[in-house]
Amino acid sequence: MAVCVAVIAKENYPLYIRSIPTENELKFHYMVHTSLDVVDEKISAMGKALVDQRELYLGLLYPTEDYKVYGYVTNSKVKFVMVVDSSNTALRDNEIRSMFRKLHNSYTDVMCNPFYNPGDRIHSRAFDSMVTSMMIQVC
Amino acid sequence: MSVPDYMQCAEDHQTLLVVVQPVGIVSEENFFKIYKRISSVSQISVRDSQRVLYIRYRHHYPPENNEWGDFQTHRKVVGLITITDCFSAKDWPQTFEKFHVQKEIYGSTLYDSRLFVFGLQGEIAEQPRTDVAFYPNYEDCQTVEKRIEDFIESLFIVLESKRLDRATDKSGDKIPLLCVPFEKKDFVGLDTDSRHYKKRCQGRMRKHVGDLCLQAGMLQDSLVHYHMSVELLRSVNDFLWLGAALEGLCSASVIYHYPGGTGGETGARRFQGSSLPAEAANRHRPGAQEVLIDPGALTTNGINPDTSAEIGRAKNCLSPEDIIDKYKEAISYYSKYKNAGVIELEACVKAVRVLAIQKRSMEASEFLQNAVYINLRQLSEEEKIQRYSILSELYELIGFHRKSAFFKRVAAMQCVAPSIAEPGWRACYKLLLETLPGYSLSLDPKDFSKGTHRGWAAVQMRLLHELVYASRRMGNPALSVRHLSFLLQTMLDFLSDQEKKDVTQSLENYTCKCPGTMELLTLPGGPTLPPVPFTKLPIVSSGLGAWQPCVWRMSLLLCGCANSFLDFQWVQGDVCEVQLMVYNPMPFELRVENMGLLTSGVEFESLPAALSLPAESGLYPVTLVGVPQTTGTITVNGYHTTVFGVFSDCLLDNLPGVKTSGSTVEVIPALPRLQISTSLPRSAHSLQPSSGDETSTNVSVQLYNGETQQLVIKLENIGMEPLEKLEVTSKILTTKEKLYGDFLSWNLEETLAQFPLQPGKVATFVVNIKVKLDFSCQENLLQDLSDDGISVSGFPLCSPFRQVVRPRVESKPVNPPEGSKPGDPSHVKTLEAILNFKYSGGPGHVEGYYRNLSLGLHVEAEPSVFFTRVSTLPATSTRQCHLLLDVFNSTEHELTVSARGNEELILHAGECQR
Repeated sequence: MAVCVAVIAKENYPLYIRSIPTENELKFHYMVHTSLDVVDEKISAMGKALVDQRELYLGLLYPTEDYKVYGYVTNSKVKFVMVVDSSNTALRDNEIRSMFRKLHNSYTDVMCNPFYNPGDRIHSRAFDSMVTSMMIQVC
Repeated sequence: MSVPDYMQCAEDHQTLLVVVQPVGIVSEENFFKIYKRISSVSQISVRDSQRVLYIRYRHHYPPENNEWGDFQTHRKVVGLITITDCFSAKDWPQTFEKFHVQKEIYGSTLYDSRLFVFGLQGEIAEQPRTDVAFYPNYEDCQTVEKRIEDFIESLFIVLESKRLDRATDKSGDKIPLLCVPFEKKDFVGLDTDSRHYKKRCQGRMRKHVGDLCLQAGMLQDSLVHYHMSVELLRSVNDFLWLGAALEGLCSASVIYHYPGGTGGETGARRFQGSSLPAEAANRHRPGAQEVLIDPGALTTNGINPDTSAEIGRAKNCLSPEDIIDKYKEAISYYSKYKNAGVIELEACVKAVRVLAIQKRSMEASEFLQNAVYINLRQLSEEEKIQRYSILSELYELIGFHRKSAFFKRVAAMQCVAPSIAEPGWRACYKLLLETLPGYSLSLDPKDFSKGTHRGWAAVQMRLLHELVYASRRMGNPALSVRHLSFLLQTMLDFLSDQEKKDVTQSLENYTCKCPGTMELLTLPGGPTLPPVPFTKLPIVSSGLGAWQPCVWRMSLLLCGCANSFLDFQWVQGDVCEVQLMVYNPMPFELRVENMGLLTSGVEFESLPAALSLPAESGLYPVTLVGVPQTTGTITVNGYHTTVFGVFSDCLLDNLPGVKTSGSTVEVIPALPRLQISTSLPRSAHSLQPSSGDETSTNVSVQLYNGETQQLVIKLENIGMEPLEKLEVTSKILTTKEKLYGDFLSWNLEETLAQFPLQPGKVATFVVNIKVKLDFSCQENLLQDLSDDGISVSGFPLCSPFRQVVRPRVESKPVNPPEGSKPGDPSHVKTLEAILNFKYSGGPGHVEGYYRNLSLGLHVEAEPSVFFTRVSTLPATSTRQCHLLLDVFNSTEHELTVSARGNEELILHAGECQR
């Protein structure tokens, strides 16, 4: 259902990015990259809120003609961005939310790997397969 | 209305539009000189009232936009100033005619017009005319500003009269229906007497009066009128005009809240002239009072008298939050009309500017997002570029740098769209450069040398590719080479093998035409582009060393030098070596040319090397050589290469894989050089590893025990300096063997007699090698004999034991000859020695420097005789016995064995005798 999943480091460089129509990868790179503006903006707006009450899910970042871009930010300012086909109306906010939660859990697992260097690109196979499962679940 | 003005901001609603145009042939330079002076008069305080008029000057304004003047009066061209050249009175009537033609274009809306004539003198020029001003030339026209002020005042009078006229229309009079161009045909045959229609007319007129009030500097009044208009129009569902009324309301509120202006530069300029915000608010009050004086005007107009209660109250003014809500509403109304696309777009732009000031980026981005989707009629390419650039600018304004970069890039691509006949590669390139910060990409490779690359590689790579392509099409191969090498350098980790090949291929193609250099490249500022402050930005590589060799990582081991740098010296005029370990990460063979050392401190002639590294090679040592030309301390701080035609200087400091930041060597004065050659064959195997000293050559010789051989060493002076002094020492490495006598001996005097040795001359030096070793304990036989502890101890004492011993001994007689064949390693002993030649001469000698040369000597000594069998025979006396030894001559020569008893035995080669 998701067409593109990206994990972005605190310093706004990609740790992981994968999209399903691989032939047009660059388009998604651009899309996710520009969405960071909105993420930044949302984070800075949230900054005033209490830290522990903060909602990690950022909601819809922006819609484009064909896709919807959703965002999620962890407490350590690692961002998850998910691009979803906008024709897929079955996808509700709640589902997106749970997908992000799954992604977050998987990311935490990656982080727990003592051989993973925080800040490196994610090459974990487990993470990869989890993302794949999220991508093909419905479509 | 088709051409959107992307620069519009909310304040423009209060301005009067004046078009300044040249007529006939006026040079651009002159025109803009005057235009600049005219536009400096952008605000005027009208005398005897405290109102301020703002003027917006345009030198180009499409007449079809003028047709929307009734809709929003700031779109209406109210003033026209024409500038013309006229040199003779004869041309005058014609010029004047042209002025009138020009006036016709905007005729319907013009309040007043002026003609500035330059160059004409004489009779005509002396006639006092209000609409024409004569100036002798473009320099001598000090009164231009005054003229403009007068002109604006006359505009104000017309405006004021219109305002009062409209505001006080008698209810009995029929209020004309104002409409926008595309509406005209919709109202044909409409019942003009219906209440609905009347209300519509009233509402629109109210809005129009509001516009006029705003322009006339009566902010509070305009707010009142807009409010009334909104109510009227809402009741009749006249959405387009309702939108306009709401927008007017917003504009007025914005002007009230943000006297500093929202339009950036223009706003700032305006602010300089205007007074403080508080004062600005006061300034509007008189206008409000004016309306109060004439309340009848309102009531008689058929407007609900209740609204008049609001007059003068700041409540009329929208709060900042409301402004945005109302903008949203207005835009949603506009969007109902396809033909009002431009209005909608402009409203979006204005709203974004307001939001940018309010720092509400999220909402601003929504407006912009909406603006992106507003579909205007088919845009020309130029308009598209303009549109994308402005979107990019606005995104930048609200702090969305990435989005801004994205649109800028789109604009850049639009510049060179295939549909354009003449692609603007320069513009494209310039725009692309501006996108770099948005993609957090700097063109200074220094920023990339630290640690791993972090960023949006795919996106950045694309951008770099585009830069390369644009610069190539621009006809600046140096730039494209620079970008391409940058791409290769920084993005190497992200390129696939195929891409690597492609990139290098194209780099080679470019460098054929223009070799890559280390110079700073200055960006050319396009002559037709507006000046951008950073056109002189140095884009890449500041001189030395910003350039890592693009293709390989150096893991540098200054072999021998790096670790023990100060342990040795280099000699002036001699070839020195530095060893580097390199590897080629590319999937194909890499040709490196012109690789040499970069040094400082001493004049150094680097002798470049060319090498070819196999694909994906492992560490590969490269020796770089050079000749220091003077003495002193030399620092090796880098190296230079030419790869794919790109010349690069690499400093060790900037290489991540290298720990040292250069190595220092002392260069000493010239010394002679000796080359030695010996009469003995060179040996392949070096001395024992523990030898410590390094030897230049090794020679080896095989000798039999006791043999003496002469080693003739030829000393040839191959240096440039005479050899003056020579000392020879020797050191024997193998010390565990017992050595009898002198192993090496020489007579130095003979050699020294030939000194000083001039360059090219040869001297000989003779060393005698004498091998005299103790092989005794090694022989098996004796070991056998001594193995038997009892027999040995008992041997000299009692003979009965002999019998016991003998069979034992005899049981093995055959073995020794077999087991100890000549040359069998177990019997060969090795002697190793080093001959050290310490010599000096020339200037170096004066300073006390010596050069060392060592000759390794490897001698394999073999025993010359073997005792193959030992046995005893009882002698005549019991106290004695005969010791019988079987002696075997293992050499190829005849030898004499002599014992103490003066017996001599001659053994022939390979012979065994008793």
